[in-house]
Amino acid sequence: MDLVFWEIARASGLAAYAALCISVLSGLAPRTQALSFLANNRAVRALHDWTPWIVIPAALTHILALLLDATARIGILDVFVPFLTSYGRLAIGLGTISLDLLIIVLVTTWLRRRLSNNAWQWWHRVSYLGFVTMFLHAMLSGTDLTSPVISVLSWASAIGIGYYALERLGKALNPSRIRA
Amino acid sequence: MYAMKASSPTLPPIPAKTGPGRRNRSGPVPGWGLKLGGFLTTLGVFAGSLGYANAHLYVTNAPLQPATVALVATAGATSAAAATAVPSTTTTSTTTLTSSVRTTTLPAVTATKTS
Repeated sequence: MDLVFWEIARASGLAAYAALCISVLSGLAPRTQALSFLANNRAVRALHDWTPWIVIPAALTHILALLLDATARIGILDVFVPFLTSYGRLAIGLGTISLDLLIIVLVTTWLRRRLSNNAWQWWHRVSYLGFVTMFLHAMLSGTDLTSPVISVLSWASAIGIGYYALERLGKALNPSRIRA
Repeated sequence: MYAMKASSPTLPPIPAKTGPGRRNRSGPVPGWGLKLGGFLTTLGVFAGSLGYANAHLYVTNAPLQPATVALVATAGATSAAAATAVPSTTTTSTTTLTSSVRTTTLPAVTATKTS
């Protein structure tokens, strides 16, 4: 039974990574036209607004499975406080940091009406850091990342998001290109 | 499942271009289609990964191994390499594992005769 939780933890970790990729990419897409071949901006924004419904269950499944699994030996404190585990402190700690950042982004998003638009935008940009820490967590601790197929897909999605994030940054720093 | 649109952020509207410079950027997929695609993609990744994890329970070259998994993986590898398998004389298909040869400081019990 214990190995079932271990398998679920591995699978839900990859599912959470995929869900976060969809969330970040759909957030970047309205400004970068990354998904313009698929849908218009209204539909892409609707997708981005909806992505917590896939990110949260996948992340929660990953955490719950790790807590119930005796193989990983993760405690409740390790879920929220980084670098406390008895092994793989950096690799697992990065996952803890990415969860903390995800919680910050979700909470500030739900409190957006009480925040100024500028403040909310800065808090929302934390999600880039959250994605980077989650990617590093997956690379350093992901058991299934040894599979060439899974590794290539993970790297490809991260590179794609990195490309569009840089394009988004370039447009933000040089807004005249948008108006042209 | 309720839509999260009411409490979720909405970016400021992008001004629509009109005239000859306007490009058609609208893809054919509606919002619900993208949501369904996102859900199925995540579910597909979960199901595929679950199947892969089930088939590859102990990954010896994983970057990070929990202690118990590492123990099982290394024990399995070393026992297979060091132990000598001797077929049993019984009719069952079980094998008996014997320890490897060791050196000793005791005097030899055999002698070599010279002519």
